[in-house]
Amino acid sequence: MVEDKSIGGRVFAAINFTLLALIALITVLPFMHVVAGSFTTSAEMAANKFVLIPKVWSLDAYKFIFSTNTIFKAMGVSIGVTAIGTVFSMFVTSLMAYGLSRRDLDGRTLINFLVVFTMLFHGGMIPTFLVVKELGLIDSYASLILPSAISAFNMIILKNFFQNIPEGLEESAKIDGCTDFGILFRIVLPLSLPAIATISLFYAVTYWNTYMSAILYLDDSAKWPIQVLLRQIVVLASGMDYSSTLDAAVPPPDQTIKMAVIVVATIPILLVYPFLQKHFAKGAMLGSMKG
Amino acid sequence: MQEVAVQPSAAPQPQRKRGKNSSELKKRLWRNKWLYVMVTPGILYFIIFKYLPMYGLIISFQDYKPYQGISGSDWVGMEHFNRLFTEPDFLNILMNTLILFGLNIVIYFPIPIILALMLNELRGTFFKRFFQTLVYLPHFMSWVIVVSISFVMVTMDGGIINELLVFFGFEKVNFLLNPSWFRPMYIIQVIWREAGWGTIIYLASIAAIDPGLYEAARMDGAGRLKQIWHITLPSIRGVIITLFILKIGSVLDLGFEHVYLLLNSMNREVAEIIDTYVYTAGLRQGQFSYSTAIGFFKSIIGLIMVMSVNKLSKKMGEEGVY
Amino acid sequence: MKKKSFSMLLTALLTFSVVLSACSGGNNNNGTTAPAASSNEGTNTVVAEKEAEPAAPTEIKIMLPLNTSESPPDTIKNEIEKLTNTKLTYQFFPADTYEEKLNASFATGSLPQVTYLKNQTTFIQMKEAIKDGQFWEIGPYLEEFPNLNKMKPEILNNTKVEGMLYSLYIGRPLARQGMIYRKDWADKLGLSAPANTDELFEMAKAFTEQDPDGNGQKDTTGISDRNELTYGAFKTVSSWFGTPNAWAEKDGQLAPEFTFQQYIDTMDFFKKAREAGYMNQDFAATSKTDAVNMFTSGKAGLYIGGSMQDIDSLNKDLIKNFPDAVLDTHSMVAGPDGNFAQWMIPGYNNVVLFPKSAVKDEAELKKILAFFDQMMTPEISNLMYWGIEGTHYTVEDGKAKPAEDKELIEREVKGYKDSVIGEAETNGMYESYNILPGRIHAEQLLLENVKVGVADPTAALESATFTEQGVELQQIITDATYKYIYDQIDKAGFEKEVESWKSRGGSKIIEEFNASYKAQ
Repeated sequence: MVEDKSIGGRVFAAINFTLLALIALITVLPFMHVVAGSFTTSAEMAANKFVLIPKVWSLDAYKFIFSTNTIFKAMGVSIGVTAIGTVFSMFVTSLMAYGLSRRDLDGRTLINFLVVFTMLFHGGMIPTFLVVKELGLIDSYASLILPSAISAFNMIILKNFFQNIPEGLEESAKIDGCTDFGILFRIVLPLSLPAIATISLFYAVTYWNTYMSAILYLDDSAKWPIQVLLRQIVVLASGMDYSSTLDAAVPPPDQTIKMAVIVVATIPILLVYPFLQKHFAKGAMLGSMKG
Repeated sequence: MQEVAVQPSAAPQPQRKRGKNSSELKKRLWRNKWLYVMVTPGILYFIIFKYLPMYGLIISFQDYKPYQGISGSDWVGMEHFNRLFTEPDFLNILMNTLILFGLNIVIYFPIPIILALMLNELRGTFFKRFFQTLVYLPHFMSWVIVVSISFVMVTMDGGIINELLVFFGFEKVNFLLNPSWFRPMYIIQVIWREAGWGTIIYLASIAAIDPGLYEAARMDGAGRLKQIWHITLPSIRGVIITLFILKIGSVLDLGFEHVYLLLNSMNREVAEIIDTYVYTAGLRQGQFSYSTAIGFFKSIIGLIMVMSVNKLSKKMGEEGVY
Repeated sequence: MKKKSFSMLLTALLTFSVVLSACSGGNNNNGTTAPAASSNEGTNTVVAEKEAEPAAPTEIKIMLPLNTSESPPDTIKNEIEKLTNTKLTYQFFPADTYEEKLNASFATGSLPQVTYLKNQTTFIQMKEAIKDGQFWEIGPYLEEFPNLNKMKPEILNNTKVEGMLYSLYIGRPLARQGMIYRKDWADKLGLSAPANTDELFEMAKAFTEQDPDGNGQKDTTGISDRNELTYGAFKTVSSWFGTPNAWAEKDGQLAPEFTFQQYIDTMDFFKKAREAGYMNQDFAATSKTDAVNMFTSGKAGLYIGGSMQDIDSLNKDLIKNFPDAVLDTHSMVAGPDGNFAQWMIPGYNNVVLFPKSAVKDEAELKKILAFFDQMMTPEISNLMYWGIEGTHYTVEDGKAKPAEDKELIEREVKGYKDSVIGEAETNGMYESYNILPGRIHAEQLLLENVKVGVADPTAALESATFTEQGVELQQIITDATYKYIYDQIDKAGFEKEVESWKSRGGSKIIEEFNASYKAQ
């Protein structure tokens, strides 16, 4: 973008920058607390409640969580499910979203409505469990992907983006002999990179956060994704188990371990972001079509 | 391709002339056969994983016993709905839910839009990316963490905020137990955790705006604010409206876990919402039918809201979500 | 162009069908068509195998809640299998969401042969299904199994449903609760362990006002409590005041605890303590971890209501911050009338059930019970509770002393700990070898507690309304209690809430419990 060198423009930019810096600070402080907490001793966590920079540095929490391969295994499962799930979901979602974005598809209003309807009405846990069971998905990794393959929300958003692509482009491609598949893969998708990146990120984060499906559909704890471990530790360490009892035969894990697990479980999904981010910034794909 | 209209079109295109007789329809269907092939996997997905299980809603009219199944359980008609409506606290709970929802719409909803506009105005790719990454961070912290960090900060027993208040000569404030602080706490936490994340969609649609438009505006001498008002905002109007309608649809889904973690005996009068009520009254005691009936009730309200807002937006010449 | 997009379509469809067929591949392993049939298939083959070859290990699937951060490796399981000639499949599920899993599995007929519940509340929820005959009645078989037969009849009685026994119980000491306090603070201020509730109040006051940590600042408080009436300080102090345990006879009728004057007195105790700042101001919103943190960070001196056995872990964290701190336990606090009392749990914290949908016949049930019978030998129960001797613990003075490597124990043993049937007296496992004086004291107090113990008379009674609405209604009383303590309502206001409890179903609960009480 061309720099705006006027005084007004500079003042505007300065105010904007300051405000955003402030906002960024507010958002990052609690996160710093988590990171700092993971690198200190449990004594310091207990004594000094809101740690931002550890006085005593310690890697004990990380040593503890990496002392077995459980967390690596869980991480592997999560990465696999996230990668395969995102690609698969993007594929079926793009197909459906493109189909529904085309105004010459008869019945699209009805289909759209029926999709929105599923955002409002749910059959409930047990009937869904039965469907998954009938399909023979219990205890398979597919049970973490197929039942949530398409998010109605994501599909509608993507459709919305596709609709904004001038129909003229599609028309001319059609005249050039492209089929609808050709148009989707050669014209619409390349033109919608910001949208594709966005929705991919949404799917990736959803798959990364898979928790309830894993609990319901996986019987073998060796297949658990990272979120199950994360939540188990966080809930135990926060003393927020909804049904607390007198029973403390098992003392909760240290706060530092809780923080370390949060850090470990968050970093991989944060790494996805920079890869997609360049597509957000790329911008104006439509403009680049010129010439 | 120079002449191709590049302006993102938020306004709907005029409907194609519909064929009146069946042969024309057939022709059209055949011409668009690949479009139908494309939507088929998606439709199958929704049928199998969404519509098939919907028979489960039947149990809201039954006295459902898991071991008897849906076919074996007794029918009770509207009994569960009557129970809900005659519940002494029902109106209060419904009001609490609607107020939190209102806060979500009025206070939270515009914030990601403003934040996205601000981020977009940042110069320099580095700062842009740096700030974007930072504001997304909170989304990856679960509510359990958000609530427990807030507790540490605001508790009267040594929380920094209260310590600061005392330091500056103010009285301590009972943020956690005073009912009038529940709603501010709730919405601040929602904003803190979700606002940055919420900018993503807007940033993506801002990215799709043709820079040529800005250039033209600058030529006309439009300042930053004018450009935002006349180019950026109109260009993302479509996505704002879509998100608004979808948000309305989630009218009564306010994040059970979040509210539940904030809820205590002292603020229950304002903090008990439908979802937390379902948890105490229903799931905890295995009352499947009752909680399904409450869910059904919520869904119907959501449906009514979505249909009205969608209709309204179409009347105003917008796309709507269906 | 056309050709290309067609091939693209083919690839697409192919991908989709591969995914689908990958799923039906999973189908083969898992069982086939009807939901009822599929859950049984696995067990059927087991039975067939066993008949053919008697020496083959019994295959048993066990579902249980997981209270540790990750499910344990097979170390312990392999040992158990060797000793019991079984092939065990342990399915651990996070305790936090265990009810959801339990409900979904139950409703779809997928519970395994051995199903642990989560706690007493879950057990109450299951009662209706138990009455409906969804689980095996095991009472008649118990005498065939010498070890199972040793289980305490009074606790078995507490777990009966309509007089019949369906479950084995996981035992817990009847009354472990009391207070853990800073003995070093008390000594410094010249206080002895509080003999009665007045002295307890004085101790909380002194801990707040007399600078027990000697840092010259008024930065300590007395009691560190949390958002729990039962397992926090309230119920324990309440029983010291002489309030009955949940229900008691009043004018010849069973009445709930909150209709007794002693309950009001307890509320006044906490109200006074909170107003004066002798306890944490935000206790109604404080989680267990935060309450414990207050104590272990040297900000509070009294931790009341938890298990006194927790002194070990509290001590461990406290001395990290204050190496000179000394803790002690105490539970003999007399009420205003000079009498001692202590509320008791029904002697178990969880039960295990045997679903008929998974256990096909009597023969299979007996095989499973035989496994549990072996589990109640010292050998197996030690293995499950303490781990492998030499690795996870050593024996000293006939007691088990956990190994230094706490992390190893946490990983490999703790997951099984909560599934041990019975208690040390009945299954013969080692008592724990204690070093900390406060913990040794706690073990003595546990026995003292039972001598003055007050049982909940409704533990073995039936009330349909209580089963259905008990938890929901209790919320009214819990809220009212906190509001009273925080001075939002007065005594009249509290009584109004009690009336509301009665009108919304409480009266029915009173009636039903009394009917059941008289029938006994």
